[in-house]
Amino acid sequence: MNLKKYLTLTRAGIIESLQFRLGTLVMIIGNVLYLTVIYFLWDSIYKSSGTDIVNGMTFTDTLIYLVLATALFNFMEMYTVWEIGRNIQSGKIVLDLLKPMEYRSYLFWSYSGSFVTQFFFTFLPTFIIVGLVTHGAIPMGINLLFFVISVIMAIIINYSIDFLVGTICLYTESIWGINIMKQVIVLLLSGATVPIAFFPEPFKTIVNYLPFQSIYNAPLTILLNGNPEMQDVLTILGTQLIWCVVMTVLSKLFWKASLRQITVNGG
Amino acid sequence: MSQIIQIKNITKEFKVLNRREGLKGSLKDLFSRDYKIVRAVDNISMNVEQGEIVGYLGSNGAGKSTTIKMMTGVLEPTSGEILIDGNIPYKNRAKNAQEIGVVFGQRSQLWWALPLIESFKILKDIYQISDSDYDSIMSLYQSLVDIEPLLHKPVRQMSLGQRTLSDILAAFLHNPKIVFLDEPTIGLDVSMKSKIRTLIHALNKEKNTTVILTTHDMGDVDALCRRIVIIDKGKMLYDNDIAHLKGFFGSYRTLKIRTDGDISEHSEQIRKKFPEFKVSADEEWISVLVDEEKEKVIDVLSTLQKTHKIRDMQLEEISTEDVVKKIYEEGVS
Repeated sequence: MNLKKYLTLTRAGIIESLQFRLGTLVMIIGNVLYLTVIYFLWDSIYKSSGTDIVNGMTFTDTLIYLVLATALFNFMEMYTVWEIGRNIQSGKIVLDLLKPMEYRSYLFWSYSGSFVTQFFFTFLPTFIIVGLVTHGAIPMGINLLFFVISVIMAIIINYSIDFLVGTICLYTESIWGINIMKQVIVLLLSGATVPIAFFPEPFKTIVNYLPFQSIYNAPLTILLNGNPEMQDVLTILGTQLIWCVVMTVLSKLFWKASLRQITVNGG
Repeated sequence: MSQIIQIKNITKEFKVLNRREGLKGSLKDLFSRDYKIVRAVDNISMNVEQGEIVGYLGSNGAGKSTTIKMMTGVLEPTSGEILIDGNIPYKNRAKNAQEIGVVFGQRSQLWWALPLIESFKILKDIYQISDSDYDSIMSLYQSLVDIEPLLHKPVRQMSLGQRTLSDILAAFLHNPKIVFLDEPTIGLDVSMKSKIRTLIHALNKEKNTTVILTTHDMGDVDALCRRIVIIDKGKMLYDNDIAHLKGFFGSYRTLKIRTDGDISEHSEQIRKKFPEFKVSADEEWISVLVDEEKEKVIDVLSTLQKTHKIRDMQLEEISTEDVVKKIYEEGVS
């Protein structure tokens, strides 16, 4: 496969996202606000609980987890549903479909430039700040390598879910409700808003069987565990791999079946 | 010569929801859906040879874009066969995409925020254009249009005309066998229109690219196409040389004048003066349908000027709509 054809889209994405300085700035400010709210919320939760450790996590653990989850969210969120929906409504999807590559790859690689910029502008700074503020509460070792692998798989799973939901827009021709629903479900069930350790028991088990926890909970669990049991790490990565394959295949099949439904505006 | 496009009896039907009126109707629509079948393209056949420029005409909603979408592979025909350079487009979309270029006048395939040159570089990689091919097409572009000032301008800052021009250049970049131009001159001023026509003509000649052009502007057709295909309500009305159509229509132009005084009285006088032409009048304008083979418009005008005080005048070409209407009413021999 000719990689250049895809990397050129990454490059374009980087240049494109660098064009909008103000947007980046506003996003960083928005993040800081969100994190401030998180801090005070969990601060009072811990103060009112009377103990230092809730559900096996200290206040610092929880905060690190949530801050990094937010950073990861900014890094991974691709607004695919939004993009697909908008392309369908404006009819631009016709032009995208006429590129000599699959629409699914085209969209992914078109967005991939933002991975690079977001990594440097939000994830890395947050990571460093958290590391400095907590005086090395993030273990630095082999877990970083596993974390990277885990994040890559998380990106693939996240994209597949997004693409799957986006495909539904072909039928509904509306985006907003679907997008919000998807976002709430993914953020809650993936452990991005509340750590999964805090979920009540039967619910926690169900969530563990769903693909969502592989997106945020899996990489963060790997990252925050300093001396992991090899077996635990492999279980997490293995689960992710299975979801990777399943979701990719599902989203591809659904897209293929749905494409026939396209009744693009005009004509 | 090879037949690059072969279309045989294609039909495309859409399922459209019958919407009911008003609040009550909308509520009902939520629960019971009642569909009707709309036939957008009805049993169309045509063959196009490599290097032809074909004008594909028809009024709004006639099924032009639907046909084009089927040729590009975005839509699958309900029945019938299409072969584009030997490929079935909807089955082999990615491969077909390599052989075609598309410009939809209303939207752009260029990267909105980036300078034009970046869009070209991206397309170069996506279509895997070799460096030498890329350089040669760029120097061809440079010889055809003044492209230098455009290259470093972000697409979003371009005027509509510049953007359309850029989009056309982008569509030809990978040296496709066929380029589909869907209303490329829509909304452009006269000088830009002629610039774009010259460009299309030159690219077609230089690269022997087949061009399928849809438009509402008979000027485009006159300047570019030797052959035209007209469809209406999904059905093929006409497929022949433009010269043949010209012979059928003669060379008609509509002369519209505005005079002082009572319009109906004036139009009556004009009708008497030129009994061979159709004269009609509305509240403001008197229209004379002049057949230039019988008398030149300028002579008609000068005759009129002697007897009437003309405040204002307009000259109109026959529009596609007129042509379609006339063919529809009278048929073509």
